Amino acid sequence: MKTKTFNIIFFTVLALCVVFTVAHFIYDINAYKHCSIIYFIAKELW
Amino acid sequence: MTTKSLLIKQISAILVVVIVFFAFNYSVYMLVTNRLGNNFSDTSQAKMVDVEKYLPHNPESDLVRIDSSLKLNDNLPVLDGAAALLPVYAAFVDNVYPKGSVTFESGNFSDDNFYGENFATDSKMQYKNTVRGYKAIVDGTTDILFCAAPSAEQVQYAKDNGVELEYVPVGKEAFVFFVNKNNPVDNLTADEIRKIYSCEYKNWKEVGGANRTINPVSRLEGSGSQSAMNAFMGEAEFGIKSPLAITGASIGFSFRYYMDGVVENEDVKMLSLNGVYPSKENIENNTYPVIAQFYAIYRADNENENIPVLIDWILSDEGQKVIEDTGYVRIN
Repeated sequence: MKTKTFNIIFFTVLALCVVFTVAHFIYDINAYKHCSIIYFIAKELW
Repeated sequence: MTTKSLLIKQISAILVVVIVFFAFNYSVYMLVTNRLGNNFSDTSQAKMVDVEKYLPHNPESDLVRIDSSLKLNDNLPVLDGAAALLPVYAAFVDNVYPKGSVTFESGNFSDDNFYGENFATDSKMQYKNTVRGYKAIVDGTTDILFCAAPSAEQVQYAKDNGVELEYVPVGKEAFVFFVNKNNPVDNLTADEIRKIYSCEYKNWKEVGGANRTINPVSRLEGSGSQSAMNAFMGEAEFGIKSPLAITGASIGFSFRYYMDGVVENEDVKMLSLNGVYPSKENIENNTYPVIAQFYAIYRADNENENIPVLIDWILSDEGQKVIEDTGYVRIN
């Protein structure tokens, strides 16, 4: 794979991952405001 | 470097990025996202109570029914209240109001919208919960609101609008703290809880528990339980927890019947406070240390003659029996 082609693929994948992660965080922040504390604590990992 | 080994390195680099991000997002999902639901479904819709279970005049509803001596037919006060008190004031409507007094926007009940209810504007029963309910009572769209004590902001909102509110205590309830059922801690002192919420204690081992970060969870400002927590903290101030505390072991607060009777989640447990468990008996004999009253609240200038009639009935043996049989503790 040519370096230029690799760079395009690599940074596209990286950008997609970053966008997905940011969207995940935005969803969490909004959902946290409306979620039930009881449900949140009940599903805690121990 | 051969073309083949270069290609392997390039593909490996891309895979590493994908795997790292996947692992990170999966961890966040397991630690946080997976837990952001409501008590009755896995969606993040704000659904504090399953309203359909408590609809008046429905034989299948889970409401206390008595042979009420009071039956109102006209000038029906609009009743509204906190999620935790929905089973109580829905039972008042069921026992005292005529059929047809509770109406829905589309004709039938639906919980598809965000707040989980579609009561019509002319319905004599509403469900706005505490924050929107206090606004409604001041604005005059609700006649009687059933809630815990108001926050300072809610008192100020009434004052700013030139509205005087009457607060009539109609029942009692324990303000409780709870943790995951697997948390080994079963009891905390009031002082320990204040130090947890002021972030002086940051690890459960400081109060005899596991070596895990404490995540002190608060509620929406203006909600009944948050107002009760503000009162519980007294002079102590809430600390600012680390953002990473959200991945720790949490402690939350609520009212006993909401946890025990409305939500009934078996994966959480209520804590004893100063060695006293928040049982109904310990509320009745006043040994549980934090007992809150809940109120019927109405505007002092509301001229609906049925407001005092209904409140007198709520304070009578019949009304108090509805409160008690629902699961709360009578005020009288």
